[in-house]
Amino acid sequence: MVNKRIELLPGVFLTCVRSEKFKTGCLSVSLLRPLRREEASANALLSTVLLRGCRDYPNIRSISAFLDRLYGASIGTLVRKKGEVQTTGFYADFLEDRLALDGEPVLEPMAGFLCALLLDPVLEDGVFAARYVEGEKRNLIHAIESRIDDKRSYAVTQLFRGMCGGEAYGVPRLGDKEDVERLDAASLYAHYRDILATSQIEIFYHGSASSQSVARMFRRGLDMLPRRETVPFGSRVVKRAKEVRELGESLDVTQGKLAMGFRLGCTAADPEYPAALLMNAVYGAGVTSKLFTNVREKLSLCYYASSSIEKFKGLMVVGSGIDFDRFEEAKGEILRQLALTAQGEITGEELENARTHLISSLRAGMDSPGRMDDYSLGQVLLGAPGGTMADLADELRGVTAKQVAAAAKRVSLDTVYFLEGVKE
Amino acid sequence: MNERSFPNLGETFFEERLPCGLLLRVTPKPDFSKTYAFLAANYGAIDTRFYLNGRPRETPDGVAHYLEHKMFDMPQGNVMQEFTRLGGSPNAFTSYAMTAYHVQCTQRWEENLTLLLQFVSTPYFTEESVEKERGIIAQEIRMYEDNADSRMYENLFSILYDHHPVRKPIAGTVESIAAITPEILAECHRAFYDPANMMLSVVGPVDPEGVADIAGQLLPKRDSAVSVSRDYGPPESPVPKEGRREARMEVAMPGFTVGFPCAESANPLRQELAGDLAMELLVGESSALYTRLYEEGLIDSDFSAGCEGVKTLAMLTAGGDSKDPDRVCDAILEEAARIGREGADPQLFERLKRSAFGRRMRELDSFETICFRMCQSHFDGTEYYDFPDLYRAITQEEVENLLRTVVVPERAAVSLIYPKGRA
Repeated sequence: MVNKRIELLPGVFLTCVRSEKFKTGCLSVSLLRPLRREEASANALLSTVLLRGCRDYPNIRSISAFLDRLYGASIGTLVRKKGEVQTTGFYADFLEDRLALDGEPVLEPMAGFLCALLLDPVLEDGVFAARYVEGEKRNLIHAIESRIDDKRSYAVTQLFRGMCGGEAYGVPRLGDKEDVERLDAASLYAHYRDILATSQIEIFYHGSASSQSVARMFRRGLDMLPRRETVPFGSRVVKRAKEVRELGESLDVTQGKLAMGFRLGCTAADPEYPAALLMNAVYGAGVTSKLFTNVREKLSLCYYASSSIEKFKGLMVVGSGIDFDRFEEAKGEILRQLALTAQGEITGEELENARTHLISSLRAGMDSPGRMDDYSLGQVLLGAPGGTMADLADELRGVTAKQVAAAAKRVSLDTVYFLEGVKE
Repeated sequence: MNERSFPNLGETFFEERLPCGLLLRVTPKPDFSKTYAFLAANYGAIDTRFYLNGRPRETPDGVAHYLEHKMFDMPQGNVMQEFTRLGGSPNAFTSYAMTAYHVQCTQRWEENLTLLLQFVSTPYFTEESVEKERGIIAQEIRMYEDNADSRMYENLFSILYDHHPVRKPIAGTVESIAAITPEILAECHRAFYDPANMMLSVVGPVDPEGVADIAGQLLPKRDSAVSVSRDYGPPESPVPKEGRREARMEVAMPGFTVGFPCAESANPLRQELAGDLAMELLVGESSALYTRLYEEGLIDSDFSAGCEGVKTLAMLTAGGDSKDPDRVCDAILEEAARIGREGADPQLFERLKRSAFGRRMRELDSFETICFRMCQSHFDGTEYYDFPDLYRAITQEEVENLLRTVVVPERAAVSLIYPKGRA
């Protein structure tokens, strides 16, 4: 597998992973922005408005017909929050050229189409078509309001909103409803022209074509892209929490959701990161973790309890579904398991199981174009483009139990959020 | 082993029926690092009434799912820990018609496969462990009750049908699982986990003979065969039991799914492909109706439509979030009537076939999809890799006829979830 990174234009990079083992090729295009309240909603809205049409395919129906002709190619908006960086753009996946029944190419029209979506939107009076903007505002507001539908992720969003209220990270991935409402066709268009010129752009391709041919397609498709100095981006890291805050909410639910936010003490840019990743696996990720085996299996305190790491901002979050009256008990046990990890109460089996699990997951990630795309973008944000999951797997091999305990010692509890039922 | 190649799909698998009756299929993928092994039983949540060796049996709702949870217990402890030591990621699911256990690994596939076959073929249920699981499963059931999508589907099935067990939630209810005992679990394992009622599909950088050797050793021929016949009751009427069911939950916008039962079909795969095409034609993204509803703000990009099947039952469905679900349902019915009268655009029909074919082809990049589709089709008595030929065979007339006969007001049943607090 060859991993190539090419600068197509100033601040526009193409990463290619060449592989012939899939029937699907994929492409993504991302504009990189600092996460901030004043533009988060505009960035999220922008990709959906652009996906409504371009000059040659000016509405959903003509776009769908185009995609149907290309053997059911699919395209969607892709808005990501990576620490305090927000990305907005598109991803597409499509049948490899070699499998097309009548031999007509698929990749080249798709690459051209992505460029057209980015550069040739449908305009009215020199700005975006108002009906597209208004329609997508409604959809985005709906998506924002629907965050509450999935209580498990809602609890985590609410936790970070409180915990990182004074930091950029507190801004949700799609922004907030009030900020969407303020946008209109003219203001969104002005924002679009601005970020088109000032954003670093990352293009990712996975498939059987050569990097030179993909680069040629995008150089041609993007030759009208305006370029100015690009806006810097990155995450501000808080290494340790101060005092613990407790937040709560009541909704009409039958199961309580506990979310506990911690400062991890490092990010994926630090040399301590592999140890922190392994610590998270020992403590709370997967079926041999301390949280799963103790809080769920041994004590039956919950339906699920697991921890995960936000590697760009340096956070750890524990989520758990529990009965309302077991809040204190569950919280106490979750913290006790972390303390045990920090004290070095880690068996050789726990350590090796966690390590095997992580390495296996990274190796399987090399079989997944979507995960490679995400990982490679992450490496760009961490200032280490080119780093692969295989490199990280290698680093994990050398981590000791002592380093894992030290990683757990660096973790500090910041905020506890509990979603409980409405009291009758 | 029998090698079967599908050049137009770029797929090849090796097949063998072992002496124990298990059907084995191995799809070698030498360029990948991961291996995926999928062991499925033709036994799901709907199999609650059956005859075991001629004796009628009725089991509580939720047994198949409870059994799935308890299979992971072995005399030497929970098998999860053992998998983790081997670097395997095991999991399982129970659907209406199938229970499946699977493991993904990037090393030591032989040992992971061995363990998978061992634990699924070893019934070990103690009073204590079955009792302890009750609380965990009750929590899981409560989680589904808080989930708007699962509530919407459960309500839909309960109004579409009169008596078919698909009307009951897959995991059962907190009340129904109270009656589940170790004896019931053991009996259902004996009845439905007979290798002859199961299928093993392995995909990855493995050698087919090696897989067959392992499976043959671990699943010897059973001494006494069991005979099971399932009882889903008399055929369901194509007219829904009720036309409408509403529930109120903590959601932001009304959600709905409208379902139309199809007549039972001898070939469920053909029915599914034709049904999907019918719904694409009617209200897929390239249809005139979709554009109109989207532009009027009545649906969003999460709206979807297609054909869902459980064994011989099939239904055409459409649903999503909408501020006015009734207007969407009315529009769907009107458009179906129009296509029924005037016919569809033949170019659009051919384009939709090409698109559906390409998407199903690309789905085969997923090992999970290969295994799931293969087993599901096999249990239904079809061959999934026939789909390219079936697409060629399905005519526009057949699809229009589905719309004409199925998507009609008398057959519509709509399940709605409204936000709390709305009058």
